[in-house]
Amino acid sequence: MRTKPEPDALDGSGARWTYTRRGYALSQSLRQLKQQRIASLGTLLMLGITLALPVILYFAYLNLATLGHRSLEGESITTYLRTNVSDIAGAELAESWSTREDVARTDYLSKEQSLAMLGEASDISSVIALLGVNPLPGAIVVYPQITDVATGSTDRLAEVLRSIPEVERVQLDLRWVRRLAAAISLLAWIGGLLAVFLTLSALLVITNTIRLELARRKSELEVANLLGAPRHFMNRPIIYTGAVYGLLGGLLASITGLMVLNAVQSPADTLSSLYQNEFTVSMPTMTQILLVISVCVCLGLIGAVSSLYRPSQHFRQ
Amino acid sequence: MISFQNVSLEYRLGKYALENLSFDLKSGSFTFLTGHSGAGKSSLLQLIARLTRPTSGDIQIGNIIYSELGVRQERALRQQMGIVFQDNQLLHDRNVFDNIALPLIIGGYQFDDIKLRVNAALAKVGLEQRGSEKPINLSGGEQQRVGIARAVVARPKLLLADEPTGNLDSEISQEIMQLLKHFNASGVTVVFATHDEHLLQTYPFQRLTLSNGQLVNDESTQSAHGSRKRSSTRKVY
Repeated sequence: MRTKPEPDALDGSGARWTYTRRGYALSQSLRQLKQQRIASLGTLLMLGITLALPVILYFAYLNLATLGHRSLEGESITTYLRTNVSDIAGAELAESWSTREDVARTDYLSKEQSLAMLGEASDISSVIALLGVNPLPGAIVVYPQITDVATGSTDRLAEVLRSIPEVERVQLDLRWVRRLAAAISLLAWIGGLLAVFLTLSALLVITNTIRLELARRKSELEVANLLGAPRHFMNRPIIYTGAVYGLLGGLLASITGLMVLNAVQSPADTLSSLYQNEFTVSMPTMTQILLVISVCVCLGLIGAVSSLYRPSQHFRQ
Repeated sequence: MISFQNVSLEYRLGKYALENLSFDLKSGSFTFLTGHSGAGKSSLLQLIARLTRPTSGDIQIGNIIYSELGVRQERALRQQMGIVFQDNQLLHDRNVFDNIALPLIIGGYQFDDIKLRVNAALAKVGLEQRGSEKPINLSGGEQQRVGIARAVVARPKLLLADEPTGNLDSEISQEIMQLLKHFNASGVTVVFATHDEHLLQTYPFQRLTLSNGQLVNDESTQSAHGSRKRSSTRKVY
């Protein structure tokens, strides 16, 4: 006849690692999450949602910064040479400009290339053909080194080019780039402020949760104190709880952020293509996601440590 | 081993929980700490366990002078003591094994050593088969035995028991007493706070009697080594 085996007390109830000081602390933190499933889930959801917005703002800022950089990258100064400047002289001039420190590269468009481009872009090539001669000048497209628009370095370069005798006209339009940069800067500020407020909210959520946790564990802390547990032994499970909340909250916020980016990727790309822009919404890199999670873990740790200040005083004896 | 010299504990200005206590307790002794409720028994035990500090006077255990201890040393000292409480102070969200293992985890023992010591402690208190039970499933006497197992698992040289039989019936109290006697016989110094006259009459150990925070003259009955003699409670040995 089979009998129910006697409960085995020889090995304890937990895994081997839970009987070390750090393992004990971690197991107590995880036990709390498990025992208070609904409450923990609610706290995590609140944390995840609170942290999600700063994370979304951060991911959006990364994309907008790329957009601004790309806009500057594509920015160029078109210099139209005088008609009496030959293609050879024009090409030499372009080559000499490309050696300047404030110039990334130059492209020379010969008179023939200019005519061909005009022909592609409009239907006046037949009119020009009637003239018998090519009236278009050669042009040099100058790509400045990428710098902040606000510094005015591109304006200064345009001024220098204007003063060169072979140059007839310089065409430069940075107004929309400036507007974009200013808009991105404003968004970054607003987003940054929002992120700070929301991050503080998340910190308060963690701190409050851990204060409640401390109240719940009062008897355990008292027993540990009576048994001569060092302060760090009593504090460690609480600090680990803060870190676990931060980690899970950060993961939840990152997943939410990725889902939002994924959702807006398609419409944003469609909008970008309408403006003939190569910009596409890109997903954050693993490093950026890890950065977000690390910041959230730090928030959890800060919340836990600030909650512990008074209990540590209480158990100082 | 335990020496109190003119120790007072003031809990409010001019109000003393303990006043000018001086006594010595020898290593390996079994001492009943008696007195009416509020006489200061628990306060005295708290002073020995360094859970509270005296307002004045000196306390010494062996070579350790309490007034020279820092916070860390105080906690380390407490790890070397076993404390049994009236309400047993067990953690009800974990099983018996884990309750008993707690002092060893705090002490940084290796898992194999923890397993060995906890099972030995469970065997000593007769609860070998109850290690995986939650304390709530045990009787009051069994719970108190778990408390004792937790107090002795780290093999302390000093065991402080604060009315451990206070909530138990006479028969279970005798069982607990037998257990503590057993540990005392193996060399552990026991200080047992109680006002249970039946126990005091049954077990003729030396007494330290408190009344309103002061030691009162009492009849010392028998030393831990079994010799019967008379002495003042102020100088038990």
